[in-house]
Amino acid sequence: MLTEETKTHIEGLLNKYKTRRSAVMPALMHAQKQNAGNLTEEDMREVADYIGLNPVVTNEIVGFYTMYNPLKDIGTYHIQVCANLSCSLRQAEFIIEYLEKKLDIKSGETTKNKRYTLTRVECLGSCGTAPMMQINDDYFEDLTVSKVDEILSNLD
Amino acid sequence: MITLTINDKEVSVEDGTLILEAAKQAGFHIPTFCYQPILSRLASCRICLVEIEGQRKLQPSCVTPVMPGMKVQTESQDVKEARIGVLEFFLSNHALDCPVCDKGGECELQNMVYKYGPKKGEFTEKKERFHEKDYILSPVIVKNSNRCVQCLRCVRVCDEAVGRTMLGPMGRGAHQEETSFLKSYMDCDQCGNCIEVCPVGCFMRLPYRYRARPWDLKSASTICPYCATGCRMDIQERGGEYIRAISKFGKGVNSELMCARGRFGFDFLNNEDRLTKPLRKKDDGTFEEITWAEALETIKTNFKLSSPERIGAIISARNTNEEFYLLQKLMRTVLKSNNIDSSPRWSSDAVSAYVTACGINEGGTSIADSIDVDTVLITGSHISDENPVTDYLLRRAFDTRRIGVIIASPRAMKLDSSAQMTLRNIPASDGTLLKAVVAELYTAKPEAFKGVTGLTKIKTLDSATLSKDCGVALDDIKATTGKLLKSDQISILAGTEYLRFPESLEGLVFLRDALRALKKDLKILPLLDRCNQRGAWDMGIHPAFTPGYEALEKEGLGCDRMVQAADDRQLDMLYVICENIAGLYPDAKYAVSALSKLKFLVVQDVFMSETAKLAHIVLPGAAFAEKDGSFTNQEGRAQKIDSLLPPPGEAKTALEVIAAIGRELDYGFGPSTADEVLAEIREATSMYREVEIDTARNDSALVKGKPAALRIADFLGKKRFDDVEAENKPSLPVPVVKVKPLSFKLVTGNHLFYSGTIARRSHTLRNLVSGPMVEVSVADAERLGLSDGDTVRVKGKYHEAILTLKSKKGSRDGIAFIPENFTEVGLNRFLKRGEGIQEVTIRKI
Ligand code: SF4
Ligand code: SF4
Ligand code: SF4
Ligand code: FES
Ligand code: FES
Repeated sequence: MLTEETKTHIEGLLNKYKTRRSAVMPALMHAQKQNAGNLTEEDMREVADYIGLNPVVTNEIVGFYTMYNPLKDIGTYHIQVCANLSCSLRQAEFIIEYLEKKLDIKSGETTKNKRYTLTRVECLGSCGTAPMMQINDDYFEDLTVSKVDEILSNLD
Repeated sequence: MITLTINDKEVSVEDGTLILEAAKQAGFHIPTFCYQPILSRLASCRICLVEIEGQRKLQPSCVTPVMPGMKVQTESQDVKEARIGVLEFFLSNHALDCPVCDKGGECELQNMVYKYGPKKGEFTEKKERFHEKDYILSPVIVKNSNRCVQCLRCVRVCDEAVGRTMLGPMGRGAHQEETSFLKSYMDCDQCGNCIEVCPVGCFMRLPYRYRARPWDLKSASTICPYCATGCRMDIQERGGEYIRAISKFGKGVNSELMCARGRFGFDFLNNEDRLTKPLRKKDDGTFEEITWAEALETIKTNFKLSSPERIGAIISARNTNEEFYLLQKLMRTVLKSNNIDSSPRWSSDAVSAYVTACGINEGGTSIADSIDVDTVLITGSHISDENPVTDYLLRRAFDTRRIGVIIASPRAMKLDSSAQMTLRNIPASDGTLLKAVVAELYTAKPEAFKGVTGLTKIKTLDSATLSKDCGVALDDIKATTGKLLKSDQISILAGTEYLRFPESLEGLVFLRDALRALKKDLKILPLLDRCNQRGAWDMGIHPAFTPGYEALEKEGLGCDRMVQAADDRQLDMLYVICENIAGLYPDAKYAVSALSKLKFLVVQDVFMSETAKLAHIVLPGAAFAEKDGSFTNQEGRAQKIDSLLPPPGEAKTALEVIAAIGRELDYGFGPSTADEVLAEIREATSMYREVEIDTARNDSALVKGKPAALRIADFLGKKRFDDVEAENKPSLPVPVVKVKPLSFKLVTGNHLFYSGTIARRSHTLRNLVSGPMVEVSVADAERLGLSDGDTVRVKGKYHEAILTLKSKKGSRDGIAFIPENFTEVGLNRFLKRGEGIQEVTIRKI
């Protein structure tokens, strides 16, 4: 169920754009935030319904962009590591491997205590400071193994 | 014109032509997957790449327009290699399960690889598989994504033509899969257009899967037997069983498009309940089988016993022009009776008035021309459900050319999303609404109406009162008027509500004349719900006119008056062909009791209908795929139909039976084959003289007309309406009844999956409808505290029924819609002759 707060956000977006359809991406983002990073089937249907689209459209969008996590159980900290070209050239694969070992999960999985989820994603537009990762809403750049350790230990 | 060379051949084509089309005109074939002329341009598959001199890279010919002096190569070494590369790429993840795939033998990918290569694949990676087993998406659709070429034709046809947006590309890159929301079961229009456009075997017909290979099938080109859009299709059989209907790109008004009824509703032909033997009613009311000779003898004897004015014939609008013509010839020349009609759902007076108002007697109007205008006004029709493919064509015209669409209808519909304006009028007030518009047109431009005769009544119209009477706000009427004034070319699409409520036709005629006075280029296209309704009228299946709308001196009885005459014991004999009077006449009890009083009722039908049960003799009939002849669609396009199989058992076509009865009564009666009858039709009426009925080229198939062969004044001005008023007015419903709270006006029409006696016998269509339903607006459902799927009791003055509730967003409040063709409901049992619109209450049980 979309909360009143989410609906207010969506209403604001609808006023902001000329066509209602344009609001769909940020609206889905709000729905996902409301559920601590998870996007349920119900959310996808409700957002579509609210904007006046067929749910297949929200399905299409969340299937295309890696920032949406449909039907997944996402941990408190969602670590998304870029594995696109620039980052790969600057050892992103190595960072991912390191994280997999450190957290004892494969990318795409969540730790047993539901604290971390690790995901490989496409370019996050921060190629100049590759390799990089995003944890929840924050970017962490020019990564090295020791930097990763430090970042993780500083979380909450 | 632009001149360029393609493969060293000089060609001149229209400005803006795509290279692909230019090559086609020059005789060069370029392969395509994603290109579909009726859909938006995508250029994703790259199979159509060509070489253009001076350009470094190959270009997709399906989106590149021609330029003067361009030098294009479609078969150069580079092009060939690129093509092979693209095909190899498609095959890299393709399932390659042709031996079990439904599409094998007619697959575009298979054909292309066979023609162009590659001879062997070089991909060594593991194939990407979406799933192991096919999955079912609806009662008629099954999917296998492992064969996909990502052309997105399925997605685009559903979104852009059908207007449902049920499918989307999910995921990205090699993981992209075209499917429904979370691959769930779809509650969609079930039109199967996604199946038809898919070049490979991803989307498949569930009822047909694994049942045949294309080369095992025999097919015949025919016309869909449901609505009067008149979609062309090929009907196919294997081992004597009708197994598939397909539409083909570039064939017919519909091209590849069809709706659920057309694509899946043909299986009534296979129904085990088909009548196969002539039957006679015994004294105990049961039927016994008899021979044709006995049946014909009984019919002859009975016909001979009666005087002409005591004999009548009613034939359904699903028969061929040839059958219509021969029946009226039998009635008029041999039996000397003009008691002939086609539908019990409306009166013959309504038909005369509608024919003249829409100019049906003045010749055909093509759908393509009707939608190539500035503004289209749709009135008196739930077009999205009644004429689905006409709805698709309008949607495309709106999307590509931004034509203005105005829809006036009490019930919401799918096409509303393409409309600039939707007017939700009170049921049966369509004419009032149009009069309000006319009043506003007059106010805006009084000078235009000076000196125009026949428009005096227009000046007395008061838009404010009319707007109240039809329940549409004056501002909306003014906005509609504004749009009409701004448009130069206008078409009006007028549906069957005008036949149910012919009083409305006065408004339509006013609007027509007003727009003509304003010098607008106006077209009127009738929207009809039976495949050959227009043909029936053209052929003189009407008590007041003969073929080609030649008005008769002395008019016979229409269906309504025949039923009344039977009730008064003024009619002895009725010959009914495929029409279900008891099931459709708007007062079931009255019709059944009247028909039971007949001395002799003979019914030819494909099934034992409610009417056939009342008959003394029942004759087994043939259905569309068993007949040769022609249908005339709502545009006035005469189209040939070919038979595929003979009718089951001893059943015969109506043509054979009419000819046989004719010969019994008059030795020289004929002709008796469809071709001969058609030749005689051409002789008899200039409307059909030059019509081109050949399937391959029926561009010139529109019937010609004689302007105003029937004068409108005869029907609308003085005579007809006043007469009708004075005489015993046939069951023309009286408009505008005061609505009590939570009481609903009962309206009817066709269901998207379900329209008439033959749809009932299609197992596939029955599977699509959850059961008899009643539809109200979402707001009304909320007021009643009901939700979709609830079982409710719908109670009227004369009848009540238990139905499933459906709610529709955007419909007018206070209206309950029940489709007219559910046997279990018997909508006509709610109605009473002469009482007009009935009120019903709805309660949850
Ligand atoms: S059957 Fe028709 S409405 Fe349903 S998904 Fe296919 S194209 Fe769309
Ligand atoms: S399912 Fe068929 S129509 Fe749809 S994208 Fe794949 S190949 Fe094209
Ligand atoms: S639109 Fe009408 S003619 Fe075309 S397939 Fe559907 S029912 Fe048949
Ligand atoms: S490639 Fe990693 S941020 Fe762009
Ligand atoms: S047909 Fe031209 S790119 Fe697909």
